[in-house]
Amino acid sequence: MKLSTFRALLIGATILCAALPSGAAPAVPEAAPSTAAAAPASPAADAASPAGSAGTSAAGSAPGTSAAGPAGGSPPVTQSPSAADTRALDEEAQSLKKDVVDLNRDLYVLEEELLYPANTQVAVFLSMDVGSFFGLDSVELKIDRKEVANYLYTPREVDALMKGGVQKLYVGNLKTGSHELVAFFTGKGPNDRDYKRGASIKFDKSIGAHYLELKINDRQHRLQPEFEIKDWGE
Amino acid sequence: MRRLRALLAPLAVIAALAVACPAGAARRESDKLPPTRVRDLNFGDVLFYYFQGPDKDLEAITRIEAYEHWGLLSHHRPEADLLLGSLYLDLGLHNAAGAIFARLLTPDVPPGVRNRAWFYLAEVWYERGYLEKAEQSLARIEGRLPPQLEAQRTHLLSNVLIRLGRDEEAVRLLDHWQGPPDWLAYARFNLGIALIREHRLADADRALAAVGTLVTRDPELATLRDRANLAIGYAHLQQHDAAAARPALERVRLEGPYSNRALLGMGWADADLGDYRDALVPWLELQRRSVVDAAVQESYLAVPYAYGKLGAEKEAASSYENALTSYGAEGQALDAAIARVESGKLLTGMLAGNAKAGRYGWYRQLKTLPNAPESRYLYDVFAGDDFQAGLANYRELGEMQRTLTEWSSSMDAFGDMIDARQRAYAVRLPRADRLLGSGALDRMQRRRDELASRLERIVREHDVAALGAPDQQARWQRIRAIETSLAAAPHDAKTDGLRDRLRLVKGVLYFEMDAAFNARVWRERRTLKDLDLALHEAEERWIRVERARRSVPTNTGEFASRVAGLETRIAALQVRLASTRAKQGDYLAQLAAGELAEQKQRLAAYRVQARFELASLYDRAASREDQAQTPPAAQKEPPR
Repeated sequence: MKLSTFRALLIGATILCAALPSGAAPAVPEAAPSTAAAAPASPAADAASPAGSAGTSAAGSAPGTSAAGPAGGSPPVTQSPSAADTRALDEEAQSLKKDVVDLNRDLYVLEEELLYPANTQVAVFLSMDVGSFFGLDSVELKIDRKEVANYLYTPREVDALMKGGVQKLYVGNLKTGSHELVAFFTGKGPNDRDYKRGASIKFDKSIGAHYLELKINDRQHRLQPEFEIKDWGE
Repeated sequence: MRRLRALLAPLAVIAALAVACPAGAARRESDKLPPTRVRDLNFGDVLFYYFQGPDKDLEAITRIEAYEHWGLLSHHRPEADLLLGSLYLDLGLHNAAGAIFARLLTPDVPPGVRNRAWFYLAEVWYERGYLEKAEQSLARIEGRLPPQLEAQRTHLLSNVLIRLGRDEEAVRLLDHWQGPPDWLAYARFNLGIALIREHRLADADRALAAVGTLVTRDPELATLRDRANLAIGYAHLQQHDAAAARPALERVRLEGPYSNRALLGMGWADADLGDYRDALVPWLELQRRSVVDAAVQESYLAVPYAYGKLGAEKEAASSYENALTSYGAEGQALDAAIARVESGKLLTGMLAGNAKAGRYGWYRQLKTLPNAPESRYLYDVFAGDDFQAGLANYRELGEMQRTLTEWSSSMDAFGDMIDARQRAYAVRLPRADRLLGSGALDRMQRRRDELASRLERIVREHDVAALGAPDQQARWQRIRAIETSLAAAPHDAKTDGLRDRLRLVKGVLYFEMDAAFNARVWRERRTLKDLDLALHEAEERWIRVERARRSVPTNTGEFASRVAGLETRIAALQVRLASTRAKQGDYLAQLAAGELAEQKQRLAAYRVQARFELASLYDRAASREDQAQTPPAAQKEPPR
């Protein structure tokens, strides 16, 4: 939740509480209700003016710049950008960012098609379901007895897996024919003990991308984690 | 199959849309949604990046777009698109996001999902100053939202209306609105503000007093209470009703963010009532506070003004001199701050101080202010949506520059890879062409077919000798030859004896071969099956070779042209990124420098006024001295 602030410029007789409702005060902790943008509007500039002018008018020479502006009337040294400037720049930034996003996609597509042609591609995914009995630290992958990946997980990645993300752990190229995938899972098992388990699968690679999924599930009735490999085929 | 607890069906919708509200809360909100299943692993991969937080948003966007390009998200198309829309929002691409939502939020999408989408989009548009679009989005919400969200919607709409200057509509919206208690306070406050702007002070007083007298421990509501009291206090002061202003101003907390302005107002209320001695109390208190604050700066003029009214001219003069000293020092500090901002140090410090903030996503607002002299003048500017959004743009454009630089270095490697592939093709292609032109596979297939038909004939004719062992076949041939010879020989005892012996030998041999015939047929059929398998594999390989051969000329050439095209685009975008980022930096510096310049001007005006008042004081004192020294007769002369 962002605390709303209103920008107040007290210039003698006028409090300028600009109606900028949703300004987030930096370094102010967020709090309920989560209003975000829906913070209240602020007192309007002219409506909620202070009475400096009251004293001023009575005295004739009251302090404060009752004219609500610099006495000298000189133009500001630096003008703040106008709303039109702000919007134009924002539109330009949006358009540019979209172009970069599109380019990024095209580059990614090129890289993947160049490095992993669909005919020979094999991809290994990893997913976790629940994960109460196993805290994942790392996974080591071997294909045909050759280590192809050894991945150490960050807490954020584990969290993403727990929420339902599926990691594309390895992408490579394989010839058609029979192959064997072996995966070793390392982490903390039940009772927070070091835990290492393996799983393997033999699969036949033919023409076309081949997908395999390493699945970490909780086996409730045994209070143990379960490690499986599913062959999604082509 | 995977079960997700993140998103509802359609899967990504709410998680997607939730991004449009404060990111943390939104992503948490997705946890409440019913489970669903990932049917395309690649969609799970997108979610893996999405769930890692805003740092990975660009990666998630790239993957969604690439997987859609390859047609790998067929089971999750609408969800993926909506997720993409939300990620666009997070990256500040609200126009693109709005287009996606407008396209996808059809009546087929559940109303609850649709409404939330429009609400969050409205929020983003509002925060970025697109008020008309925000209003249009809110108008697309059908029916009522859940209570909390409904309250937020009303609140957002009232803010939009007030900012658009349509106060009367805001009043109509809020006048009899009822909702959750916390939101009711905000609604009353906004109603009060709209009423003040409509010059309906009595009604505004009632609305704001309700907020201003709230009993709460909630720091946010306490702040709102201060704001309400300050607003109504100043509104009364403006109407020269100091007596009505005082109670409201007295309710503002002494240590809150609005206390300075309240103290200043209190002093003015007392002064308005002619009680200058009481006015000095809050104003002198203000002088103990930081002179950065405008209210404190004004108190430096207010105090001597009150002294003057009380006839304490000596104290007044001393206070004015004190004001001039303070203003002078503050003016110098402001000059230094403006110089730092204009030299570009503001952004450097800001980015360094927030290095841990997300790389992408305009919700990644400043967590800490740079420890720089100018920071204390710029709290409000830093807090403003324009600055926050501009800073996010600035940071993201920088990250995109870095991303493209990384890609740029990869392009050389891609080029090398394509060259190497072309060289390899140059060696292998003639070999492949020779093989493909040889018709070897067809010949093998024909031979296999001949073999199969031969075996069928043997089985059909029960030709046991055809499958006999080599020695058996040799013996069988000799027997047949002897048989032929004997067939031409005359029948006598000797030849008949030979015929009997030959028949016996032939019978024994036939028996041996017949006994082994079925096993040999089985063995031959198995051999044929193995041959079929080998031939099938050879055929597959042949097809792959043919396919690869066909794709060679276009494949490598196409890759080469794609690499060249992408290199050009990278170079062009790098130029645009540098230019727009520089503009964005200038814009932020202008926002800050503009604010500092305004403060400087205000300070300059105060200095002029302080000098003028001080001069007037001295003039009056001098003229009194003159009068005192002039003979009484002269004192009776009328002033000029």
